[in-house]
Amino acid sequence: MSSILSIRSVTKFYGRIRALNQVSFEVPPGSVFGVLGPNGSGKTTLLGIVMDVLKATDGTYSWFGEPPSEKQRARIGTLLETPNFYHYLSGERNLRIAAAIKGRGMEDIPRVLEMVRLTERKDSKFSTYSLGMKQRLAIGSCMLGNPSVLVFDEPTNGLDPAGIAETRDTIRHLASEGKTIVLASHLLDEVEKVCTHVAILQRGELLMAGDVREVLMNEDMVELGVPAGLEGRLQEALTAWPGVRQVRRRDGLMEVFFQQGIVPDTGELNRFCFEKGVVLNHLQLRKRSLESKFMEITKEINQ
Amino acid sequence: MLNLLRIEWMKFKNYRTFWILVGIIVLAIPGVNYAVYSIVSAVNSKDKSPGAPILNLFGFPDGWHTVCYVSSMLFIMQAILIITLTTNEFTFKTHRQNIIDGWSRSAFISVKFAEVFLLSVLSTLTVLLTVLAFGYLAGTGEAHVSVWQGSRFLFFYFVQVISYSMIAFVIAVLIKRSGLAIGLFLIYMIVEQVVMGIITNLLKLPAGQYLPEESTDRLIPFPGLHLMSQLEWEHRIPGYLTAAAIYLIIYCVVTGRYFLKSDL
Repeated sequence: MSSILSIRSVTKFYGRIRALNQVSFEVPPGSVFGVLGPNGSGKTTLLGIVMDVLKATDGTYSWFGEPPSEKQRARIGTLLETPNFYHYLSGERNLRIAAAIKGRGMEDIPRVLEMVRLTERKDSKFSTYSLGMKQRLAIGSCMLGNPSVLVFDEPTNGLDPAGIAETRDTIRHLASEGKTIVLASHLLDEVEKVCTHVAILQRGELLMAGDVREVLMNEDMVELGVPAGLEGRLQEALTAWPGVRQVRRRDGLMEVFFQQGIVPDTGELNRFCFEKGVVLNHLQLRKRSLESKFMEITKEINQ
Repeated sequence: MLNLLRIEWMKFKNYRTFWILVGIIVLAIPGVNYAVYSIVSAVNSKDKSPGAPILNLFGFPDGWHTVCYVSSMLFIMQAILIITLTTNEFTFKTHRQNIIDGWSRSAFISVKFAEVFLLSVLSTLTVLLTVLAFGYLAGTGEAHVSVWQGSRFLFFYFVQVISYSMIAFVIAVLIKRSGLAIGLFLIYMIVEQVVMGIITNLLKLPAGQYLPEESTDRLIPFPGLHLMSQLEWEHRIPGYLTAAAIYLIIYCVVTGRYFLKSDL
Protein backbone atom coordinates (compact mmCIF):
# COMPACT_ATOMS: atom_id res chain seq x y z
CA MET A 1 0.00 0.00 0.00
CA SER A 2 1.23 3.50 -0.79
CA SER A 3 1.98 6.06 1.91
CA ILE A 4 -0.87 7.47 3.94
CA LEU A 5 0.63 10.92 3.71
CA SER A 6 3.27 11.99 1.27
CA ILE A 7 4.86 15.42 1.64
CA ARG A 8 7.02 16.66 -1.23
CA SER A 9 9.27 19.72 -1.02
CA VAL A 10 6.82 21.79 1.00
CA THR A 11 8.00 25.33 1.58
CA LYS A 12 6.14 28.02 3.45
CA PHE A 13 6.93 31.70 3.83
CA TYR A 14 5.18 34.09 6.21
CA GLY A 15 6.18 37.32 4.53
CA ARG A 16 9.97 37.15 4.52
CA ILE A 17 10.13 34.55 7.27
CA ARG A 18 10.69 31.03 5.98
CA ALA A 19 8.68 28.69 8.22
CA LEU A 20 9.32 25.51 6.19
CA ASN A 21 12.04 24.77 3.68
CA GLN A 22 11.68 21.95 1.14
CA VAL A 23 10.27 19.47 3.66
CA SER A 24 9.64 15.99 2.27
CA PHE A 25 8.75 12.71 3.97
CA GLU A 26 6.35 9.80 3.79
CA VAL A 27 4.07 8.48 6.51
CA PRO A 28 3.73 4.71 6.07
CA PRO A 29 0.44 2.94 6.82
CA GLY A 30 0.05 1.71 10.39
CA SER A 31 2.86 3.88 11.73
CA VAL A 32 2.84 6.24 14.69
CA PHE A 33 4.71 9.06 13.05
CA GLY A 34 6.20 11.66 15.34
CA VAL A 35 6.86 15.12 13.96
CA LEU A 36 9.38 16.41 16.39
CA GLY A 37 10.87 19.79 16.98
CA PRO A 38 11.07 22.69 19.40
CA ASN A 39 8.42 25.42 19.50
CA GLY A 40 8.55 27.40 16.28
CA SER A 41 10.16 24.62 14.25
CA GLY A 42 7.24 24.48 11.79
CA LYS A 43 5.33 21.42 13.03
CA THR A 44 1.92 23.10 13.26
CA THR A 45 2.52 24.98 10.00
CA LEU A 46 3.23 21.67 8.27
CA LEU A 47 0.10 20.02 9.67
CA GLY A 48 -1.93 23.17 8.87
CA ILE A 49 -0.83 22.86 5.25
CA VAL A 50 -1.79 19.20 4.90
CA MET A 51 -5.16 20.04 6.48
CA ASP A 52 -5.69 22.94 4.01
CA VAL A 53 -6.01 25.67 6.61
CA LEU A 54 -2.67 27.09 5.46
CA LYS A 55 -1.44 27.43 1.90
CA ALA A 56 2.04 26.18 1.03
CA THR A 57 4.21 28.66 -0.84
CA ASP A 58 5.66 25.75 -2.79
CA GLY A 59 5.55 21.96 -2.86
CA THR A 60 2.78 19.39 -2.82
CA TYR A 61 1.30 16.71 -0.62
CA SER A 62 -1.10 13.83 -1.03
CA TRP A 63 -3.29 11.77 1.26
CA PHE A 64 -3.86 8.08 0.53
CA GLY A 65 -1.90 8.48 -2.71
CA GLU A 66 -4.45 10.94 -4.11
CA PRO A 67 -4.45 14.70 -4.58
CA PRO A 68 -5.77 16.47 -1.46
CA SER A 69 -9.51 17.02 -1.08
CA GLU A 70 -12.09 17.66 1.62
CA LYS A 71 -13.34 14.06 1.35
CA GLN A 72 -9.98 12.81 2.56
CA ARG A 73 -9.97 15.25 5.49
CA ALA A 74 -13.38 13.95 6.54
CA ARG A 75 -11.81 10.48 6.83
CA ILE A 76 -9.08 11.74 9.17
CA GLY A 77 -9.48 12.62 12.85
CA THR A 78 -7.53 15.81 13.42
CA LEU A 79 -6.67 17.86 16.47
CA LEU A 80 -4.71 20.87 15.31
CA GLU A 81 -3.26 23.27 17.88
CA THR A 82 -6.10 24.28 20.21
CA PRO A 83 -9.59 22.74 20.47
CA ASN A 84 -11.87 24.82 18.24
CA PHE A 85 -15.53 24.64 19.21
CA TYR A 86 -18.56 26.92 19.48
CA HIS A 87 -18.30 28.31 23.00
CA TYR A 88 -22.02 28.86 23.40
CA LEU A 89 -22.94 25.26 22.54
CA SER A 90 -22.72 22.17 24.73
CA GLY A 91 -20.03 19.56 24.21
CA GLU A 92 -22.53 17.18 22.66
CA ARG A 93 -23.97 19.76 20.25
CA ASN A 94 -20.44 20.62 19.16
CA LEU A 95 -19.79 16.96 18.44
CA ARG A 96 -23.04 16.80 16.45
CA ILE A 97 -21.76 19.60 14.20
CA ALA A 98 -18.39 17.87 13.78
CA ALA A 99 -20.09 14.55 12.99
CA ALA A 100 -22.39 16.20 10.45
CA ILE A 101 -19.45 17.89 8.69
CA LYS A 102 -17.52 14.62 8.63
CA GLY A 103 -20.59 12.91 7.19
CA ARG A 104 -20.73 10.52 10.14
CA GLY A 105 -23.83 9.41 11.96
CA MET A 106 -24.81 10.79 15.36
CA GLU A 107 -24.90 7.31 16.92
CA ASP A 108 -21.15 7.38 17.61
CA ILE A 109 -21.35 10.45 19.86
CA PRO A 110 -22.20 8.64 23.14
CA ARG A 111 -19.26 6.27 22.58
CA VAL A 112 -16.70 9.04 22.13
CA LEU A 113 -18.13 11.06 25.03
CA GLU A 114 -17.71 8.01 27.22
CA MET A 115 -14.23 7.42 25.83
CA VAL A 116 -13.06 10.92 26.84
CA ARG A 117 -15.03 10.85 30.11
CA LEU A 118 -17.33 13.73 29.26
CA THR A 119 -20.70 11.95 29.34
CA GLU A 120 -21.71 13.69 32.56
CA ARG A 121 -20.76 17.10 31.22
CA LYS A 122 -22.10 16.60 27.69
CA ASP A 123 -24.87 19.14 28.19
CA SER A 124 -22.61 21.83 29.67
CA LYS A 125 -21.54 24.70 27.47
CA PHE A 126 -18.07 24.36 25.99
CA SER A 127 -17.15 27.72 27.56
CA THR A 128 -17.57 26.17 31.02
CA TYR A 129 -15.09 23.36 30.34
CA SER A 130 -11.61 23.31 31.87
CA LEU A 131 -8.60 23.31 29.54
CA GLY A 132 -8.20 19.56 30.00
CA MET A 133 -11.89 18.93 29.25
CA LYS A 134 -11.66 21.04 26.10
CA GLN A 135 -8.67 19.03 24.97
CA ARG A 136 -10.47 15.77 25.73
CA LEU A 137 -13.51 16.90 23.77
CA ALA A 138 -11.22 17.67 20.83
CA ILE A 139 -9.68 14.20 21.07
CA GLY A 140 -13.21 12.76 21.24
CA SER A 141 -14.16 14.70 18.13
CA CYS A 142 -11.19 13.14 16.33
CA MET A 143 -12.47 9.68 17.23
CA LEU A 144 -15.90 10.22 15.66
CA GLY A 145 -16.57 7.49 13.14
CA ASN A 146 -13.48 5.57 14.26
CA PRO A 147 -11.16 6.93 11.54
CA SER A 148 -8.18 4.88 10.37
CA VAL A 149 -5.88 7.92 10.31
CA LEU A 150 -5.42 10.42 13.12
CA VAL A 151 -3.45 13.65 13.27
CA PHE A 152 -2.63 15.02 16.70
CA ASP A 153 -0.83 18.29 17.24
CA GLU A 154 0.43 18.52 20.83
CA PRO A 155 -2.40 16.29 22.11
CA THR A 156 -1.30 16.44 25.74
CA ASN A 157 -1.34 20.24 25.93
CA GLY A 158 -3.29 21.39 28.96
CA LEU A 159 -3.73 17.91 30.37
CA ASP A 160 -2.76 16.96 33.91
CA PRO A 161 -0.27 14.08 34.45
CA ALA A 162 -3.09 11.54 34.60
CA GLY A 163 -4.56 12.96 31.39
CA ILE A 164 -1.16 12.85 29.69
CA ALA A 165 -0.66 9.21 30.63
CA GLU A 166 -4.21 8.43 29.54
CA THR A 167 -3.70 10.13 26.17
CA ARG A 168 -0.50 8.18 25.62
CA ASP A 169 -2.32 4.96 26.42
CA THR A 170 -5.08 5.94 24.02
CA ILE A 171 -2.53 6.61 21.27
CA ARG A 172 -0.80 3.29 21.94
CA HIS A 173 -4.17 1.54 21.93
CA LEU A 174 -5.14 3.20 18.64
CA ALA A 175 -1.78 2.24 17.16
CA SER A 176 -2.28 -1.36 18.25
CA GLU A 177 -5.53 -1.35 16.27
CA GLY A 178 -3.47 -0.65 13.16
CA LYS A 179 -4.37 3.02 12.85
CA THR A 180 -1.91 5.45 11.36
CA ILE A 181 -1.16 8.34 13.69
CA VAL A 182 0.72 11.53 12.92
CA LEU A 183 1.80 13.08 16.20
CA ALA A 184 3.44 16.48 16.40
CA SER A 185 5.08 17.35 19.67
CA HIS A 186 7.85 19.35 21.19
CA LEU A 187 7.95 16.83 24.04
CA LEU A 188 10.65 14.43 22.90
CA ASP A 189 9.89 12.03 25.68
CA GLU A 190 6.27 11.84 24.52
CA VAL A 191 7.26 10.99 20.96
CA GLU A 192 9.88 8.51 22.07
CA LYS A 193 7.38 6.57 24.14
CA VAL A 194 4.79 6.04 21.44
CA CYS A 195 6.28 6.57 17.96
CA THR A 196 7.47 4.04 15.41
CA HIS A 197 8.69 6.70 12.98
CA VAL A 198 9.98 10.19 13.44
CA ALA A 199 10.72 13.34 11.48
CA ILE A 200 12.85 15.96 13.18
CA LEU A 201 12.28 19.58 12.29
CA GLN A 202 14.26 22.59 13.31
CA ARG A 203 13.58 26.13 12.14
CA GLY A 204 11.61 24.76 9.21
CA GLU A 205 14.34 22.38 8.05
CA LEU A 206 13.83 18.64 8.06
CA LEU A 207 16.90 17.27 9.80
CA MET A 208 16.07 13.60 9.72
CA ALA A 209 13.14 11.29 9.04
CA GLY A 210 12.59 7.57 9.25
CA ASP A 211 12.06 4.57 11.49
CA VAL A 212 12.71 5.41 15.12
CA ARG A 213 15.03 2.35 15.40
CA GLU A 214 17.06 3.62 12.47
CA VAL A 215 17.20 7.17 13.72
CA LEU A 216 18.26 5.93 17.14
CA MET A 217 20.42 3.09 15.78
CA ASN A 218 23.63 2.44 17.70
CA GLU A 219 22.54 4.62 20.50
CA ASP A 220 22.93 1.92 23.14
CA MET A 221 24.92 3.05 26.11
CA VAL A 222 26.18 1.19 29.16
CA GLU A 223 26.04 2.81 32.55
CA LEU A 224 28.58 1.62 35.12
CA GLY A 225 28.84 2.27 38.83
CA VAL A 226 32.25 1.85 40.44
CA PRO A 227 33.61 2.34 43.96
CA ALA A 228 34.99 5.80 44.65
CA GLY A 229 38.59 6.32 43.61
CA LEU A 230 38.59 3.72 40.85
CA GLU A 231 36.91 5.80 38.16
CA GLY A 232 40.14 7.00 36.60
CA ARG A 233 41.62 3.54 36.33
CA LEU A 234 38.47 2.09 34.83
CA GLN A 235 38.02 4.95 32.38
CA GLU A 236 41.53 4.39 31.08
CA ALA A 237 41.01 0.67 30.78
CA LEU A 238 37.62 0.99 29.07
CA THR A 239 39.01 3.19 26.36
CA ALA A 240 40.91 0.12 25.16
CA TRP A 241 37.74 -2.02 25.00
CA PRO A 242 36.98 -2.92 21.35
CA GLY A 243 34.39 -0.60 19.79
CA VAL A 244 34.22 1.94 22.62
CA ARG A 245 33.79 5.43 21.23
CA GLN A 246 33.55 7.50 24.35
CA VAL A 247 33.65 7.11 28.11
CA ARG A 248 32.43 9.92 30.30
CA ARG A 249 31.52 10.52 33.92
CA ARG A 250 28.08 11.75 34.81
CA ASP A 251 26.25 12.02 38.12
CA GLY A 252 28.66 9.64 39.87
CA LEU A 253 28.29 7.02 37.13
CA MET A 254 30.31 6.25 34.03
CA GLU A 255 28.65 6.24 30.63
CA VAL A 256 30.20 4.11 27.89
CA PHE A 257 29.26 4.82 24.25
CA PHE A 258 30.02 2.46 21.37
CA GLN A 259 30.88 2.82 17.72
CA GLN A 260 28.24 2.26 15.06
CA GLY A 261 27.19 -1.37 14.65
CA ILE A 262 28.72 -2.55 17.93
CA VAL A 263 26.29 -4.23 20.29
CA PRO A 264 27.83 -4.26 23.77
CA ASP A 265 27.93 -7.54 25.64
CA THR A 266 27.35 -6.55 29.26
CA GLY A 267 28.56 -9.93 30.60
CA GLU A 268 31.89 -9.56 28.80
CA LEU A 269 32.17 -5.98 29.98
CA ASN A 270 31.59 -7.04 33.59
CA ARG A 271 34.24 -9.71 33.29
CA PHE A 272 36.66 -7.20 31.71
CA CYS A 273 36.19 -4.78 34.58
CA PHE A 274 36.67 -7.54 37.13
CA GLU A 275 39.89 -8.61 35.41
CA LYS A 276 41.05 -5.03 35.67
CA GLY A 277 40.47 -5.23 39.42
CA VAL A 278 37.28 -3.19 39.49
CA VAL A 279 34.15 -4.73 40.97
CA LEU A 280 31.14 -2.94 39.53
CA ASN A 281 28.31 -1.95 41.85
CA HIS A 282 26.03 -0.93 38.96
CA LEU A 283 25.76 -2.05 35.36
CA GLN A 284 22.89 -1.19 33.06
CA LEU A 285 22.36 -1.17 29.30
CA ARG A 286 20.44 1.96 28.34
CA LYS A 287 18.81 3.06 25.12
CA ARG A 288 19.89 6.58 24.48
CA SER A 289 17.04 9.01 24.82
CA LEU A 290 15.61 10.73 21.78
CA GLU A 291 16.27 13.95 23.59
CA SER A 292 20.01 13.46 23.61
CA LYS A 293 19.89 12.30 20.00
CA PHE A 294 17.85 15.35 19.07
CA MET A 295 20.32 17.64 20.80
CA GLU A 296 23.17 15.93 18.96
CA ILE A 297 21.49 16.20 15.54
CA THR A 298 20.56 19.84 15.96
CA LYS A 299 24.05 20.60 17.25
CA GLU A 300 25.68 18.88 14.26
CA ILE A 301 23.50 20.79 11.82
CA ASN A 302 24.19 24.10 13.51
CA GLN A 303 27.96 23.64 13.51
CA MET B 1 -26.25 23.21 -0.18
CA LEU B 2 -29.22 22.02 1.89
CA ASN B 3 -26.93 19.83 3.95
CA LEU B 4 -24.55 22.76 4.50
CA LEU B 5 -27.46 24.95 5.60
CA ARG B 6 -28.68 22.20 7.93
CA ILE B 7 -25.27 22.24 9.65
CA GLU B 8 -25.32 26.05 9.83
CA TRP B 9 -28.74 25.78 11.46
CA MET B 10 -27.22 23.45 14.08
CA LYS B 11 -24.77 26.25 14.89
CA PHE B 12 -27.45 28.92 15.35
CA LYS B 13 -30.55 27.26 16.67
CA ASN B 14 -29.27 27.20 20.25
CA TYR B 15 -27.48 30.54 20.04
CA ARG B 16 -29.34 33.09 22.16
CA THR B 17 -27.77 36.16 20.52
CA PHE B 18 -28.97 34.93 17.12
CA TRP B 19 -32.58 34.72 18.31
CA ILE B 20 -32.39 38.08 20.10
CA LEU B 21 -31.11 39.84 16.97
CA VAL B 22 -33.56 38.05 14.65
CA GLY B 23 -36.34 38.89 17.12
CA ILE B 24 -35.32 42.55 17.17
CA ILE B 25 -35.31 42.70 13.35
CA VAL B 26 -38.67 40.95 12.99
CA LEU B 27 -40.30 43.07 15.70
CA ALA B 28 -38.57 46.36 14.97
CA ILE B 29 -39.71 46.49 11.34
CA PRO B 30 -43.44 46.60 12.19
CA GLY B 31 -42.64 48.51 15.38
CA VAL B 32 -40.87 51.43 13.71
CA ASN B 33 -43.51 51.51 10.98
CA TYR B 34 -46.22 51.62 13.61
CA ALA B 35 -44.52 54.60 15.23
CA VAL B 36 -44.44 56.47 11.91
CA TYR B 37 -48.01 55.35 11.13
CA SER B 38 -49.18 56.78 14.48
CA ILE B 39 -47.51 60.12 13.76
CA VAL B 40 -49.04 60.29 10.27
CA SER B 41 -52.47 59.40 11.67
CA ALA B 42 -52.11 62.08 14.36
CA VAL B 43 -51.19 64.68 11.72
CA ASN B 44 -54.17 63.66 9.58
CA SER B 45 -56.64 63.82 12.46
CA LYS B 46 -55.29 67.16 13.72
CA ASP B 47 -55.23 69.11 10.47
CA LYS B 48 -58.85 68.99 9.35
CA SER B 49 -58.87 72.40 7.71
CA PRO B 50 -60.56 72.48 4.29
CA GLY B 51 -58.10 71.76 1.52
CA ALA B 52 -55.49 70.18 3.78
CA PRO B 53 -53.96 67.10 2.07
CA ILE B 54 -54.79 63.76 3.58
CA LEU B 55 -51.60 61.75 4.00
CA ASN B 56 -52.32 58.11 3.26
CA LEU B 57 -48.69 57.04 3.27
CA PHE B 58 -49.43 53.53 4.55
CA GLY B 59 -52.41 52.73 2.33
CA PHE B 60 -52.06 51.08 -1.06
CA PRO B 61 -50.19 51.83 -3.26
CA ASP B 62 -47.95 54.25 -1.28
CA GLY B 63 -47.60 51.84 1.64
CA TRP B 64 -45.06 49.76 -0.29
CA HIS B 65 -42.83 52.78 -0.68
CA THR B 66 -43.31 54.11 2.85
CA VAL B 67 -42.83 50.82 4.70
CA CYS B 68 -39.76 49.90 2.63
CA TYR B 69 -38.23 53.32 3.26
CA VAL B 70 -38.93 53.28 7.01
CA SER B 71 -37.72 49.67 7.37
CA SER B 72 -34.46 50.44 5.59
CA MET B 73 -33.44 52.49 8.61
CA LEU B 74 -33.00 49.20 10.49
CA PHE B 75 -30.24 47.78 8.27
CA ILE B 76 -27.77 48.28 11.08
CA MET B 77 -29.48 45.47 13.02
CA GLN B 78 -29.13 43.13 10.07
CA ALA B 79 -25.49 44.17 9.72
CA ILE B 80 -24.81 43.46 13.41
CA LEU B 81 -26.41 40.01 13.07
CA ILE B 82 -24.32 39.09 10.03
CA ILE B 83 -21.11 40.46 11.51
CA THR B 84 -21.74 38.57 14.77
CA LEU B 85 -22.45 35.24 13.07
CA THR B 86 -19.48 35.57 10.74
CA THR B 87 -16.87 36.83 13.20
CA ASN B 88 -17.88 34.12 15.71
CA GLU B 89 -16.30 31.60 13.35
CA PHE B 90 -13.03 33.52 13.35
CA THR B 91 -13.09 34.19 17.09
CA PHE B 92 -13.64 30.53 17.95
CA LYS B 93 -11.43 29.43 15.02
CA THR B 94 -14.27 27.13 14.00
CA HIS B 95 -13.78 28.19 10.38
CA ARG B 96 -10.50 26.28 10.54
CA GLN B 97 -12.10 23.34 12.30
CA ASN B 98 -14.94 23.14 9.75
CA ILE B 99 -12.33 22.86 6.98
CA ILE B 100 -10.24 20.35 8.96
CA ASP B 101 -13.34 18.25 9.64
CA GLY B 102 -14.17 17.96 5.96
CA TRP B 103 -15.71 21.07 4.44
CA SER B 104 -14.03 22.59 1.43
CA ARG B 105 -13.17 26.26 1.65
CA SER B 106 -15.65 26.96 -1.14
CA ALA B 107 -18.41 25.12 0.75
CA PHE B 108 -17.75 27.26 3.82
CA ILE B 109 -17.87 30.58 1.99
CA SER B 110 -20.84 29.51 -0.17
CA VAL B 111 -22.99 28.64 2.81
CA LYS B 112 -22.15 32.02 4.34
CA PHE B 113 -23.35 33.72 1.13
CA ALA B 114 -26.52 31.63 1.35
CA GLU B 115 -26.99 32.77 4.94
CA VAL B 116 -26.75 36.43 3.96
CA PHE B 117 -29.28 35.76 1.20
CA LEU B 118 -31.72 33.95 3.50
CA LEU B 119 -31.50 36.58 6.24
CA SER B 120 -32.20 39.23 3.59
CA VAL B 121 -35.20 37.18 2.43
CA LEU B 122 -36.43 36.95 6.03
CA SER B 123 -36.15 40.70 6.44
CA THR B 124 -37.94 41.24 3.12
CA LEU B 125 -40.75 38.87 4.09
CA THR B 126 -41.19 40.77 7.34
CA VAL B 127 -41.47 43.97 5.34
CA LEU B 128 -44.01 42.31 3.02
CA LEU B 129 -46.22 41.31 5.95
CA THR B 130 -45.84 44.78 7.44
CA VAL B 131 -46.86 46.43 4.16
CA LEU B 132 -49.93 44.21 3.88
CA ALA B 133 -50.94 44.70 7.52
CA PHE B 134 -50.63 48.49 7.44
CA GLY B 135 -52.11 48.63 3.94
CA TYR B 136 -55.28 46.94 5.04
CA LEU B 137 -55.30 49.06 8.21
CA ALA B 138 -54.96 52.33 6.31
CA GLY B 139 -57.04 51.26 3.30
CA THR B 140 -56.66 52.44 -0.28
CA GLY B 141 -59.37 55.02 -0.46
CA GLU B 142 -59.63 54.11 -4.10
CA ALA B 143 -61.45 50.97 -5.16
CA HIS B 144 -59.52 50.44 -8.37
CA VAL B 145 -56.05 50.35 -6.78
CA SER B 146 -54.53 46.88 -6.76
CA VAL B 147 -52.91 45.67 -3.57
CA TRP B 148 -49.76 44.81 -5.53
CA GLN B 149 -49.43 48.17 -7.23
CA GLY B 150 -46.13 49.63 -6.01
CA SER B 151 -44.80 46.25 -4.90
CA ARG B 152 -41.60 46.81 -6.89
CA PHE B 153 -40.41 48.72 -3.82
CA LEU B 154 -40.27 45.39 -2.03
CA PHE B 155 -37.78 44.20 -4.65
CA PHE B 156 -35.82 47.43 -4.21
CA TYR B 157 -35.85 46.81 -0.46
CA PHE B 158 -34.44 43.32 -1.02
CA VAL B 159 -31.67 44.71 -3.24
CA GLN B 160 -30.89 47.31 -0.60
CA VAL B 161 -30.88 44.93 2.37
CA ILE B 162 -28.73 42.31 0.62
CA SER B 163 -26.28 45.02 -0.47
CA TYR B 164 -25.91 46.39 3.06
CA SER B 165 -25.67 42.82 4.40
CA MET B 166 -22.91 41.95 1.95
CA ILE B 167 -20.97 45.09 2.87
CA ALA B 168 -21.21 43.95 6.51
CA PHE B 169 -20.13 40.44 5.45
CA VAL B 170 -17.11 41.69 3.51
CA ILE B 171 -16.01 43.78 6.51
CA ALA B 172 -16.55 40.83 8.86
CA VAL B 173 -14.47 38.46 6.71
CA LEU B 174 -11.64 40.93 6.28
CA ILE B 175 -11.57 42.34 9.84
CA LYS B 176 -12.53 39.15 11.73
CA ARG B 177 -13.31 40.91 15.03
CA SER B 178 -16.93 41.73 15.77
CA GLY B 179 -16.55 45.04 17.64
CA LEU B 180 -14.10 46.43 15.15
CA ALA B 181 -16.19 45.23 12.18
CA ILE B 182 -19.40 46.82 13.53
CA GLY B 183 -17.52 50.06 14.18
CA LEU B 184 -16.03 50.03 10.70
CA PHE B 185 -19.44 49.35 9.15
CA LEU B 186 -20.88 52.43 10.91
CA ILE B 187 -17.88 54.56 9.96
CA TYR B 188 -18.23 53.42 6.34
CA MET B 189 -21.89 54.53 6.31
CA ILE B 190 -20.81 58.02 7.37
CA VAL B 191 -17.72 58.18 5.16
CA GLU B 192 -19.72 57.22 2.09
CA GLN B 193 -22.18 60.03 2.73
CA VAL B 194 -19.31 62.51 3.05
CA VAL B 195 -17.67 61.20 -0.15
CA MET B 196 -21.02 61.30 -1.92
CA GLY B 197 -21.52 64.89 -0.80
CA ILE B 198 -18.09 65.90 -2.07
CA ILE B 199 -18.53 64.20 -5.45
CA THR B 200 -22.09 65.44 -6.00
CA ASN B 201 -22.04 68.93 -4.50
CA LEU B 202 -18.45 70.08 -4.76
CA LEU B 203 -17.24 68.31 -7.87
CA LYS B 204 -20.73 68.37 -9.47
CA LEU B 205 -20.25 64.86 -10.81
CA PRO B 206 -23.11 62.33 -11.15
CA ALA B 207 -20.86 59.46 -10.00
CA GLY B 208 -21.70 60.06 -6.33
CA GLN B 209 -25.11 58.47 -6.68
CA TYR B 210 -23.51 55.20 -7.80
CA LEU B 211 -21.49 54.60 -4.65
CA PRO B 212 -22.15 51.18 -3.00
CA GLU B 213 -24.74 52.24 -0.43
CA GLU B 214 -25.99 55.37 -2.17
CA SER B 215 -26.97 53.51 -5.36
CA THR B 216 -29.33 51.25 -3.39
CA ASP B 217 -30.50 54.09 -1.09
CA ARG B 218 -31.70 55.94 -4.18
CA LEU B 219 -33.86 52.99 -5.20
CA ILE B 220 -36.14 53.97 -2.31
CA PRO B 221 -36.12 57.77 -2.06
CA PHE B 222 -37.84 59.74 0.70
CA PRO B 223 -41.60 59.07 0.27
CA GLY B 224 -43.56 61.87 -1.40
CA LEU B 225 -40.67 64.09 -2.33
CA HIS B 226 -39.57 62.01 -5.26
CA LEU B 227 -42.80 62.79 -7.07
CA MET B 228 -41.33 66.08 -8.21
CA SER B 229 -38.63 64.28 -10.12
CA GLN B 230 -40.50 61.04 -10.62
CA LEU B 231 -39.55 60.71 -14.28
CA GLU B 232 -35.89 61.34 -13.67
CA TRP B 233 -35.88 58.79 -10.87
CA GLU B 234 -37.67 56.21 -13.04
CA HIS B 235 -35.08 56.81 -15.70
CA ARG B 236 -32.20 56.11 -13.30
CA ILE B 237 -33.54 52.91 -11.72
CA PRO B 238 -31.79 50.58 -14.22
CA GLY B 239 -28.51 52.35 -13.49
CA TYR B 240 -28.94 51.93 -9.73
CA LEU B 241 -29.85 48.26 -10.11
CA THR B 242 -26.89 47.64 -12.41
CA ALA B 243 -24.53 49.34 -9.94
CA ALA B 244 -25.98 47.23 -7.09
CA ALA B 245 -25.52 44.04 -9.12
CA ILE B 246 -21.91 44.93 -9.97
CA TYR B 247 -21.13 45.67 -6.33
CA LEU B 248 -22.71 42.38 -5.22
CA ILE B 249 -20.52 40.49 -7.70
CA ILE B 250 -17.46 42.39 -6.42
CA TYR B 251 -18.34 41.54 -2.79
CA CYS B 252 -18.66 37.84 -3.65
CA VAL B 253 -15.44 37.75 -5.67
CA VAL B 254 -13.44 39.64 -3.02
CA THR B 255 -14.58 37.49 -0.08
CA GLY B 256 -14.53 34.28 -2.11
CA ARG B 257 -10.99 34.79 -3.39
CA TYR B 258 -9.77 35.94 -0.01
CA PHE B 259 -11.17 32.89 1.77
CA LEU B 260 -10.04 30.42 -0.89
CA LYS B 261 -6.49 31.70 -1.19
CA SER B 262 -5.42 32.96 2.23
CA ASP B 263 -4.16 31.25 5.37
CA LEU B 264 -7.03 30.64 7.77
